[in-house]
Order: sequence, then C-alpha cells, then structure tokens
Amino acid sequence: MIQVRGLTKEYGTGSTLRGAGVVRAVDDLTFDVQPGKVTGFLGPNGAGKSTTMRMVLGLDRPTAGSALVTGRRFGELAEPLRVAGALLDAGAVHPGRSGRDHLRVAARTHGIPLRRVDDVIDQVGLGPAARRRVRGYSLGMRQRLGIATALIGDPAVLLFDEPMNGLDLDGVRWVRRLVRGLADEGRTVLLSSHLMSEMEQTADHLVIIGRGRLIADASMQEVMRREDAQRQVRVRTPSPGDLAGALRRRRLQVHPTDEGDLLVEGATAETVGDVALQLGVAVHRLTEEHASLEQVYLDLTGDTVQYRVASAPEPAELVRR
Amino acid sequence: MTAAQTADRTATTAAGPEPGTATLLARTAAAEWLRLRTVRSTWWCLLAAAVTVVGIGATAAFDEATEPAATTAALPATIAGEFGVLLGQFGLLVLALVAVTQEHASGSIGPTLQWTPRRGVLLAARVAVPVVVATVAGVLLALVADVAAWLIAPELTLSAGELAGSLGRVAAVLVAGSVLAVGVGLLLRSTAGALATVFLLQLVLPALLPGFGVEWMADLGELLPGTGAVWTLLGEPDMTAAQAAALLVGWSVAALVAGGWSLLRRDAS
Repeated sequence: MIQVRGLTKEYGTGSTLRGAGVVRAVDDLTFDVQPGKVTGFLGPNGAGKSTTMRMVLGLDRPTAGSALVTGRRFGELAEPLRVAGALLDAGAVHPGRSGRDHLRVAARTHGIPLRRVDDVIDQVGLGPAARRRVRGYSLGMRQRLGIATALIGDPAVLLFDEPMNGLDLDGVRWVRRLVRGLADEGRTVLLSSHLMSEMEQTADHLVIIGRGRLIADASMQEVMRREDAQRQVRVRTPSPGDLAGALRRRRLQVHPTDEGDLLVEGATAETVGDVALQLGVAVHRLTEEHASLEQVYLDLTGDTVQYRVASAPEPAELVRR
Repeated sequence: MTAAQTADRTATTAAGPEPGTATLLARTAAAEWLRLRTVRSTWWCLLAAAVTVVGIGATAAFDEATEPAATTAALPATIAGEFGVLLGQFGLLVLALVAVTQEHASGSIGPTLQWTPRRGVLLAARVAVPVVVATVAGVLLALVADVAAWLIAPELTLSAGELAGSLGRVAAVLVAGSVLAVGVGLLLRSTAGALATVFLLQLVLPALLPGFGVEWMADLGELLPGTGAVWTLLGEPDMTAAQAAALLVGWSVAALVAGGWSLLRRDAS
C-alpha cells in the first residue's frame, strides 16, 4: 500500500538575476496504490511521474505533503528492500561493476544471503551475463538487472518506472506476466509506462496525471466505461447515402470515412443493423469499435501535454472515484 | 556486537524486528567496502600509489643518503615513506574521491539511497570506509618504502621510534587529505570539479604560490591544507605544529560539514 497525500514538489528555475521562477513539477497529488492490483501510472512526458516516484522513495524531498509506504516514510526504513523494491532508472548502475556485484552490494546492505542474489539472477534470466561488467549490457539487460534489484528483498510494494523500455517482445511479455504475478501474490505494484496497449493489458487500476496534477484515479473498467458513451459502429454498405439518411433521421451522428464506410456515434450494432434491414440495404460489414486506452488517455491528457501547447489550461474533466 | 544487540531490542519493541543502528552501520560499511573492491578504478589508484610511494620514495631516500656532498648527520630511512606519500597520496585521494563522485556521475546514488535511505548511516559509512582504506594503504606503502630504502642504502638509520612517529605523521596527513577529498566530492558531486578543487588545495597552490615572491600569495599559500601536509611530512615551510594541525583539521572538518550537508539535505541526483 502506498499513500500519497498532498504531495507537491517545486523547483526553482533560471537565475535569480532574471527573477526566480518556480515550477511545480508535482502539484498537490493525493492517491492510494492498493495491494493485489497493478496500478498503472500514466501521464505525458514531464507530468511528474518520475518525480512522484522519487519522492515516494525518499530520493527527493517534497516541498509539501507526504508519501507513506506500508504506513511509514521510506526514509525511516531500516531494511527498505524488504518493504519496497523499485526500478526507476535502469542506467543508474556503476558501469564498471558486474551485475552480480551490484546485486551483492544491495544484498550486503540488508544481510541478505548470497544465494538470494543468484536466485534473482535466474529469475530475471540474466544468466552468465551477470558476471560481466554493466558497461557492456543492452538496455534490456539493464532493465532485467534493475528488476532483479527490486525483487531481491522479496518486498510487498514494487515501483517500476518504464520497465519495458528497451525490451524485445519476449521481454515485454515476461514483464507483463511478472507484474501480473506479483500483484496476484497480493503485492502492491505501481507501474508507469508510455506503452498504452501494454498498460491496457496489464493494469487493473489507473492513476493519470498531467502537469503534476491528478487527472484520473479510477479502475481500468471505469476509465474505459467513460469512453463507452463515445462507442461507435462502423458499417460498410453499397448504398451509404441511403443508410446515412435513415440513421440521421433517428438523430444519430454519422460520419463517412475515406474508405467509404460510415461511422455511427453512440449507436449499437443492433440499432444500425435493424435500420439497414428496414431500409432494405445490404450490409457488408458491421462492427462495434471500442475506444482503446490510448484514445482515452489522449482525451484525458490532451490539454495537459506540456511540450506541445504554450498556454496552461486547467486539467481536463476529472474522472475521480 | 553487544551494542548491536541492545539496539536490536529497542527497535523490536517499536515496529517489528528491525535491526538497530549499529547493525545497519556495520552492514552499510561492509557494502561500501564491497563497492570499493568491485570496481577497477580502486585497484588502478592503489597501483599508482604503490609505484609512486615505494618507487619514488625509496629512490629519493637512496639519492639523499649517497649524495657526495655528504650530510653531517645520518638520515632516517623514514624520509622515503614521507617523501613518497607527499607525492603518492594523490593516488589514494583520487581513490577516496572517485568512490563518492562516481555514484553521482552514474546515477547509482539512486539505488544506493534506496538501499540505505537513512542518510546519516550512509554518510558515516561513506566517509569512514574510503578514509580508512586510503590511510591504511598509505601507511603500509610508507612502511614498505622505509624498509626498502633502508635495505638498499644501509647508511640510513631505522629505529622503531622513528618509524612509529613517521607512520603516525603519514596517517595524519592521509586521514586529513582523504576526509577533504570525500567532503569535496560529496559537496560538488562532479568528479572533474572535485578533483580540480582537491588538487589545487592540496598540491598545486601550496607548491606554486610561494614561488612568485609576492607576499600575499605566500601568505595565502600558508593557509591551504596542502601546506599543512607538507609541513607534517617534511617539516619545511616555517610554521608551528599547532598551525599545521589547525590547517589539517580545519580544512577536513569544513569539507566534511559541507559534504555532509549536501548528502543529508539535498535531493539525490
């Protein structure tokens, strides 16, 4: 269980000569990460995901607010690896040290036996490469080393920042199964990723932030259900004009596509099929299209993408529970 | 061990079986030692220090002893270790400094603080381990240089008293120098910046400033930690033992306070 309460981080910017500016990287964030679930942590670049994780882990000092891991501040923990494991930056390893030695140092800080080091090396599939120096590792191997480090203390809480970066398809599927398995064992898993399709398959719950503020904190089902109102039906017919007219008379929004199909908003396949039958036009294709998480995400964060728009609009409509 | 057990019990009553501070400190120091041992730069620095301290130290002592313009009194062999450490200390200071700054360069300070989030514990181990390693290595190398010089130049004298006094002075210089190096490393976090600072304070400025014949420059040179180190080893610039001690202690305490503040209070990165 991770509890984030009013977490805020401000950075000073620029020189004091030009007037000290203050940037709020994280702005009054409050959310819980529950055990037994994979909680996806989403937001555009610069939204404050990594800064939030760093504050949870005591690496950065919050300007205001607090973060508790299993009820305690991370910075107070005597044996943090037995409570929370994290992979924040796979590159943050001394390049001249072997992966196994890196894990040995972690184990040494906690009195964890050497046997456990070799166990996690096997678990993440690092194999004989563990004895080579990290300098020669691919990004995927570094991710595996980082995951091994997070797992070494068998913690109840796990934080992964973009763990699938640099992994090949097998690696991505491996992380997905691993993360799923960790949550199914009752652990708390916070997972950030920009791979929306991966998140859609892996996460149970979503925390979405933009410009440091909370945009949504809801189950995956709730977030997707919101989009069901915008569900649409794609229909292909040899007489699109007639069908579009009949549908519009029923006050449905119809948009022709470049391929000659019709997109009918807010309708079900049954309704469109029935209208076509009554009209007596042939139907060659009839499919309901659900929004992907990617579309939902873009809708939710569209106004908050930091590196696209110059103005600073309010966060989009909240989907809080 | 008993301290650890006592600390254990107090922690247990509070929130589950957590090890006490003494245990954490012992583990963190062991981890720091493992960190030092598992990178090659440590061994390269030790090799450089060994070659300089023993090679140059013993050769210089041999030269002094066999100088035709013969000295009046017999020279002690300990001038080998002292002269060798004056130059070779930089291998050991680099060892201590890079152990700290490399963590910030590679970002591995992040994992380090995730494993040891109690920064006071980390600071204690992070200062103690490199300082002990650099000092012990330097004293052993000075001892080897002294014995080597005495073997190749029998004119040199070597008594237990001289040896103990000399190695004590070598240890004082190395403790002060490596605390300065670690403190500056913790404060500046950049290998290049910290190395430049330590080299200027410890070697370059004390050696060059008196040479310009300008009074304020010479005075400034006498306020630098390197001058205290040179006096302690060679007794050369004219100053009292108290002045030299004040330079060594003052600079290393100041560096330690500034570096400690940096580790304890600033965001990791």
